[in-house]
Amino acid sequence: MTVAHNDAVPAAISVRNLDFYYGAHHALKDISIDFPQGQVTGMIGPSGCGKSTLLRVLNRMYDLYPGQRATGEVIFDGCNIIGPKVNLNVLRSRVGMVFQKPTPFPMSIYDNIAFGVRLHERLDRAAMEARVEDVLRRVALWPEVRDRLRDSAAALSGGQQQRLCIARTIATRPEVVLLDEPTSALDPVSTARIEELLDELKADFTIAIVTHNLQQAARCADQVAFFYMGEVVEVDSADRMFTTPREKRTQDYITGRFG
Amino acid sequence: MTMHTTTPAAQAAPCAGARWQGNGVSDIRRRMVDRVATALCWAATVLVLLMLFSILFVLVRNGVGGLRWVTFVHVTLPPGQAGGLANAIVGSLIQTGLAVLIGAPVGLLVGIYLAEFTATDGKLINFVRFVSDLLLSAPSILVGLFIYMIVVVPSGHFSGIAGALALSMLVVPVVVRTTEDMLRLVPLAMREAAIALGAPRWRMILFVCLRAAREGVATGILLALARVSGETAPLLFTSLGNMNWSIAPGKPMASLPVTIYQYAGAAYADWTALAWTGALLITTGILMINITVRLGLGRNRK
Repeated sequence: MTVAHNDAVPAAISVRNLDFYYGAHHALKDISIDFPQGQVTGMIGPSGCGKSTLLRVLNRMYDLYPGQRATGEVIFDGCNIIGPKVNLNVLRSRVGMVFQKPTPFPMSIYDNIAFGVRLHERLDRAAMEARVEDVLRRVALWPEVRDRLRDSAAALSGGQQQRLCIARTIATRPEVVLLDEPTSALDPVSTARIEELLDELKADFTIAIVTHNLQQAARCADQVAFFYMGEVVEVDSADRMFTTPREKRTQDYITGRFG
Repeated sequence: MTMHTTTPAAQAAPCAGARWQGNGVSDIRRRMVDRVATALCWAATVLVLLMLFSILFVLVRNGVGGLRWVTFVHVTLPPGQAGGLANAIVGSLIQTGLAVLIGAPVGLLVGIYLAEFTATDGKLINFVRFVSDLLLSAPSILVGLFIYMIVVVPSGHFSGIAGALALSMLVVPVVVRTTEDMLRLVPLAMREAAIALGAPRWRMILFVCLRAAREGVATGILLALARVSGETAPLLFTSLGNMNWSIAPGKPMASLPVTIYQYAGAAYADWTALAWTGALLITTGILMINITVRLGLGRNRK
C-alpha cells in the first residue's frame, strides 16, 4: 500500500482508510490516496476495480442509493465529507462531476449552464450572460454556439455536448472536477479537444479522471493511481508509472497482460 | 499490390451452387405458412378498419343533418319544438374540463411519487401502483355510485361538480400511469447530472425529469380527457342531466353522453336525430384530441 507523497503540492482531497460497500459487496478496501491541488490525477484499472466508485464517494453521489455506504475519512477543506453533517448540495457545487455519456438537460444551451449557477448564486442578467460566455469560451465552445444559445442543447454533436457538460460543471466554480471516463463515448477528434481542455483547466481546478485509455492517462495525468480489486495498488507520477512501475500487477496491467 | 483485387469470375457466377439450394425440406411449407399468416393479418386489419369506418360513416350520415346553428345555440326542448344541444355541449365541456383540472394534478403528483421514490418507499409504491391500476380497470358506473354516496347523498342533490369529481377519478389513474412511464424513460445519467451540480431532489424532478418527459406527460393528460369525454355511466348518478340551461356547478348539469343516452332510446324522431348529432360531436372531439396527440408525438420523435 503506497500513498503518494508529493511534498511540494498540498492535497485538495485526502482519502484515508476508506472502505465502501454496495450492500454486502465490499467494493473499496482500505483506500488511501491524495489528490494534489491543481493537478490531474488519472485513475486506471480493469472494470469493476473501484475507480468509479471512489469518484462517486468524492461527491457523495452514492447517497442517492440506499444500501451504499462508506467508512473512513475523506478530507476536503478540513472536513470529513463522508461524515453525517455535510451539506451535500454545497459539497456537490464544490466538487463537480462530468459523466461518461454527455447528459445535456432538455433545455437550451444557455439554460443548461444557468441551471447549475442558479442553484447556488443569484446573478443579474448581465452577470449570468457573462458567466455563460466565460465558461463556453473556456471549453472552446463559444465560437460554435454563440449564435444559438437559445437552441436546444440536444442538437449539439456528442463532443460538443460533452464540452457543454464540462462548461456546466465549471460554471458553479467548483474546486475539484471529477470526470468519469469523459471521452469513452466520443470520437478521436473530440477526445483530443477534451484532453487539451483538461490541460488548461488544471490551472484552476483539481482534477480526478477515471479512464480506460492508458495513453490518455499518460498524456493528461500528473499523477496516476492503479486500482485493482477494490484496492489502490500503486500511486505515482505518470512518468514513473508507465516506465518503471514498482508493482508486478501494475506492470502486468499496463503491458496488457490482464484486465 | 494485388491484395485487394478479387477474381472477376467469382462475382459473375449466378447464385446456383449446391450451397444456394438451402436444405430443401421445408421451403414450400415455409412459404405457405408465410402467405397464410400475411393474409390473416391483412384480413384482421381490413375488418377492424371496416368497423371503424362503418361507425364513422353511420355517425356522419345520421348526425350531419343536425349540425345546424340551432343545435349549438338552443337548449334541449320537449319533442317537436326544435331544440338543440347547447346545454349538453357546454355541460360536457365544463364537467370534463373540471375533471381534468382536479384529476390531472393529483395524477401527476402520484405518478411522480411512483417514479421517483422507488428506492426508498418500494413496498408502499407497489401498493399504490396496484390500487391505481385497479382504479384504471374499475367499472365506471361504480365510480359514479361512489361519488353518489359521498357527495350527492350528503349534499342532498345532484350536481355538475359531483359529475366532474366522478370523471376526475377516471382521469387520475390514466395520468398516474403515463406520468410514471414517461418519467421512468428519463435516463438515470440525467438525474445524476442534475444532482451532481448540487441540485436538491425536487428541482431535479421538476426542472429536469418532468421537463424531459413533458410531451409524454401532456399526452397522458390529453388521453385522459379523451377517455372521460365519452363517459356516460359515472354521470348518471352524479350530475344526472338537465333539460334546461344551467352552468352552475352546484346544480344538476346536462352532458352530451347522458343526453345521447336519454334521446337515443326515445320514440321521437327529432330526439333520435339530435342523439346522432351529439354522438358525432363527441366522436369528432375525441378524434381531434387523438390526432393532436399523434402530431405532438411525431414532432417529438424528430
